Amino acid sequence: MANWIPLWLHKLSSPPAFYRFAGALRPWAITLALLLGLVALYGGLVLAPPDYQQGDDYRIIFIHVPCAWMSLFIYGVMGVAAFIALVWRIKLAEVVAMASAPIGACFTFITLVTGSLWGERMWGTWWTWDARLTSELVLLFLYLGVIGLYHSFEDRRQGARTAAFLALIGIVNVPIVHFSVNWWNTLHQGSTIRLLGPSSIAPSMIWPLLTMMAATKLYYVASLFGRTRTDLLALESGKDWVRQIAETEGRA
Amino acid sequence: MHELRRPSLGHACMAVLRRDLTLAWRQRGDMLLPVLYALIVTSLFPFALGPEDALLRRIAGGAVLVTVLLAMLLALDAMFRSDIEDGSLEQLMLAPQPLAVMMGMKILAHWLATAVPLIVIAPLLAGMLHLPAPVIPVLLLALLLATPLLSLFGGVLVALTAGTRRSGMLLALMLLPLCVPVVIFAAGALAAAQEGLPWIAPIAWLGAALVMAVVLAPLACAAALRIALDS
Repeated sequence: MANWIPLWLHKLSSPPAFYRFAGALRPWAITLALLLGLVALYGGLVLAPPDYQQGDDYRIIFIHVPCAWMSLFIYGVMGVAAFIALVWRIKLAEVVAMASAPIGACFTFITLVTGSLWGERMWGTWWTWDARLTSELVLLFLYLGVIGLYHSFEDRRQGARTAAFLALIGIVNVPIVHFSVNWWNTLHQGSTIRLLGPSSIAPSMIWPLLTMMAATKLYYVASLFGRTRTDLLALESGKDWVRQIAETEGRA
Repeated sequence: MHELRRPSLGHACMAVLRRDLTLAWRQRGDMLLPVLYALIVTSLFPFALGPEDALLRRIAGGAVLVTVLLAMLLALDAMFRSDIEDGSLEQLMLAPQPLAVMMGMKILAHWLATAVPLIVIAPLLAGMLHLPAPVIPVLLLALLLATPLLSLFGGVLVALTAGTRRSGMLLALMLLPLCVPVVIFAAGALAAAQEGLPWIAPIAWLGAALVMAVVLAPLACAAALRIALDS
């Protein structure tokens, strides 16, 4: 097996290496995210045909569903990073976990807002105590708890580790959100897209959805890298590599 | 010269339990506060919703449940407060006995001091809202299983906030996601009992969750405390 992959990952976990790596990748990620997002919006809002049942109202799906996916995906990333931070005490993992929380909270909030707008048109109500809605709301509270706990410590590394523990406790909720539509058959519709096997959604509607999903993922990468870079600079402000960056950028 | 004997685990557990209960008993006034709070909140419901029996009877179970949970949240903040301030928590962490067991004892003492008085007055609260008498045993059973669960979850979260200055509101925010399933199952049992349906399934779920929590929560509490106070 190639030996260079673990070696490369090991090197990447050092803050200066990650700082440079993230700085190089971030512009690409944000450009691609914008491009794909525009293409997906055009495909979803203009090219895709209206739904036979919901008319044009269903088009909010192109925002709602990718954001909902991201809200769970980011919690997963945060949970993995939190686990790594607690077990191996890698500083970068702490920073990644804590930088993910606000982005995830935003996606969860967008999911709730767009879902409530969509629900008003389709179900005639802004909010209902349906299993999936409730567990998504609980997810938002989990994110807010992690952010709040992180900021209530004076020492940022200690705050990050403590909040990482809370994130690990809360990870129980992720499968509940994901499977809630299958377990409890309430108002929220079942999932129509499957990675394995045929999806029950028209191809003209699915490609903008998948493109938007890629766009949100890339946006997350770009945003995460930006936040991580800033946090690393703040956390390592006494170190030599930060001083060098400050000197070269100050001169330029 | 005889060497220092290490006290057995049972002795240490009893010592922690007795100490915490003595401390709670010396401050009986603090023990009464959650009870008073629950009484006040319950007596506000008829004012807010109107005194019709049918309406009150329908909401009684859930209202008592939520009131008891909120009253417990009120007392949760103080679980380890004085022990952190006078340094006895650090001594417990240095002690040769496993920290998880000691934390379990502290949580048990806290449950005895705050939740048991609330459970004792729960029939009174239920009576104030005209909960039908046959449902009251189910309410007590649900509370007997739900309140230790909350104490255990709360113990973990209080341990996480042990190193911070302000924690009251934050604690509520963190506890909410964890206590949602507890409330759902306890309220499910009450609703079933009120409609004359079998109510044992949700109670069994609560019991299963409690068994898991009794095993896992003290371990998580000890781990959280080591993370939060490690500096």
